[in-house]
Amino acid sequence: MQERPELKLSGALDLAPALESHKVKVPEHCGHYIDGALRLGKPETYFSNLNPSTGMPLGTVAAADEEEVDQAVKAARAAFPGWSGLSGLERGKYLFRIARRMQERERDLAVVETIDNGKPIRETRDIDVPLAAGHFFYYAGWADKLEYASGGKPVRPLGVAGQIVPWNFPILMLAWKLAPALATGNTCVIKPAETTPLSAMLLAEILDEVGLPKGVVNIVNGPGTTGAAIVNHPDIDKISFTGSTPVGRMIMKSIAGSGKKATMELGGKSANIVFADAALDQAVEGVVTGIFMNQGHVCCAGSRLLVEESIKDEFLARLKRRILTLKIGDPLDKNTDIGAINSPKQFATVQRYIKLGVEEGGTLWQGAACDAPDEGFWVLPTLLTDVHPSDTVVREEIFGPVLSVLTFRTPDEAVQKANNSEYGLAAGVWSEKTSKLFSVAHRLNAGVIWVNGYNMFDPASPFGGMRHSGFGREGGVAGLWPYMEVVR
Amino acid sequence: MSRLRIDKTLKLYVNGKFIRSESGRVLAVPTGEGRVVNVAMGSKKDLRNAVLAARKAQGGWCGKTAYNRGQILYRLAEMLDGRADALPTTKADAEAAVDRLVHYAGWADKITQVLSTLNPVSQTYVNYSRVRALGVVVAAPDPKDGLLGMVEAIGAATVMGNGLILLTDAAQGELAAALTEALHTSDFPSGVVNVFFGDQAELLGHASRHDDVDALYLAGAAPAAVVKGLEEENALVLRRVLKVASAAKPADPLQLQVLSEVQTVWMSAYESAGGGSAY
Repeated sequence: MQERPELKLSGALDLAPALESHKVKVPEHCGHYIDGALRLGKPETYFSNLNPSTGMPLGTVAAADEEEVDQAVKAARAAFPGWSGLSGLERGKYLFRIARRMQERERDLAVVETIDNGKPIRETRDIDVPLAAGHFFYYAGWADKLEYASGGKPVRPLGVAGQIVPWNFPILMLAWKLAPALATGNTCVIKPAETTPLSAMLLAEILDEVGLPKGVVNIVNGPGTTGAAIVNHPDIDKISFTGSTPVGRMIMKSIAGSGKKATMELGGKSANIVFADAALDQAVEGVVTGIFMNQGHVCCAGSRLLVEESIKDEFLARLKRRILTLKIGDPLDKNTDIGAINSPKQFATVQRYIKLGVEEGGTLWQGAACDAPDEGFWVLPTLLTDVHPSDTVVREEIFGPVLSVLTFRTPDEAVQKANNSEYGLAAGVWSEKTSKLFSVAHRLNAGVIWVNGYNMFDPASPFGGMRHSGFGREGGVAGLWPYMEVVR
Repeated sequence: MSRLRIDKTLKLYVNGKFIRSESGRVLAVPTGEGRVVNVAMGSKKDLRNAVLAARKAQGGWCGKTAYNRGQILYRLAEMLDGRADALPTTKADAEAAVDRLVHYAGWADKITQVLSTLNPVSQTYVNYSRVRALGVVVAAPDPKDGLLGMVEAIGAATVMGNGLILLTDAAQGELAAALTEALHTSDFPSGVVNVFFGDQAELLGHASRHDDVDALYLAGAAPAAVVKGLEEENALVLRRVLKVASAAKPADPLQLQVLSEVQTVWMSAYESAGGGSAY
């Protein structure tokens, strides 16, 4: 391997701060949106919401109790006949309106999302919000064509959908869940995550602005107990959940025997496989995107790097050099690559795993182009080498910017190691040899395979996992199926 | 003096072999003609062996060409039709079962065309979603659906490329045994379809606690408490449970897709495509 001088970039890449200057009014209180009206919620349930990049309070959030969830479900049930009875074209027109209005308010949404979640403005501005609008635009056009998505059979909606979204892609997950459910004629009760309620409040404004019939979408805020009230409500027909595998199991157990249908988009420990014949610099980019996008708070994060043994040293050297150019800091700065960890709780989880990785024999390496700010919750991009397939950090989802590095010698071994996981959400494969790419990609037990790429999303592309990563798809034609059934 | 009828021993059909249960359990079922059939009652260990066999056979089965799988399903229709008059069921049931197999034989090289998609993404990738087999399915057809119910489960599971363990009710032993004989003379590779007799509820319980089963297929109206118990067990491993009301109509494409996985592949479309990274 050719020796390269060590890059000492700390200080060398000091860019003048380029703070996002768009002024936006951050909601001081997040209540509920039920039956077309904003409600403050019950004062005794209020809890505070933090800005993860400063640790300072952003405002208060109400937690919906069973009574309020019941009101939301009743509103959705009352709205169901009218909404499902609309012609597909008319329903679709509402979705088109939502998409358009989201596009017009893109910057509002991006700024609020970054303040609330801690992810870089570059991501919310270029990925989360445009994709969220894109999902409404995509599914809007399906509303009057549903029989073409079911092999030509007439279909009907399931009824009232209870939807629970996570904190890592707040507005995007709202769109992933609402757009297909609404296009197929269902009405919704949706719960944002307790640490990221802000963008849902903007969405409520948008739904109001476009004149969506009241009760078609109801938003209830709150923690897990609010989610449980949705899951256990007897008049819900469908549960769609994105979150951790343990919570997914609990939900499935709760709805056992109830006849409720479910979509589970759960955790992952996805492999990113780099063959020696890959375009290495591009693979480095893909590995960086795979694990450091959104601080690794991505269910499909490429958290296990499988690199062909013969290029391990060279590849890791290139990867480290690249990591040392990543700017960590103020998420509202347009130059920022790595934002803040979303909550003190998640920060503690990531730290616990890093410590465990070292205790189990791993070698720790952390780096970035600059130091992390003093306030807020930050984790530098982290590599764990000298780890083994049985190590905790290789088996369990960390949900942070922590990459475990493993090696392999043959394509068979790469496939075997990649599939050696209870999860099956995603995988990446890097090579310039087409036959190898197809054969490896098709043998991987995962729902999404990126070939010479990673962490790409598109409204037309179905997303979802196998095994303990869940079932059901979001996006594309397959994303319609969990919300409708053939009339038999 | 009347001729003494011979009794028949009904054996489980596992990995292409007719076997007694390792448990030694046998249920004597009188047929009402002074004759008894002795039904081997499948056990937990038998089920474990069958899952192993199905898992092993499934890779080869879904690796066959779709055209070939269609021909094998059609061959099973031929074998069943050839003995339709002797089947211990109604003529209508036997005919419907044969026709159902013909239906599925025709699906084998088409269902993936209906369910797979080429997705127009906004990046320089060829993005396709293909349906692929789930793995091993354990199915409990509704005894009320007769032979048609058994054949519907076989067709739906195998046409999607899965291995199958069919749990039939002991009371239908003779009918299920006749089906195994047709299966054995069809060209189904050993282990792809395995047939059990026994207590469906007991065997479903065992299947629910087995970690290498990918889906449960329940037909008919099982008691709510039974479904609840099964779904609670299966929730622990996020195993999917497909509930089918009846076998009167064949599974529609959306039901068939539940017996498969959608795998989406982003295949880089241009030489040295970028990683999509904005970093």
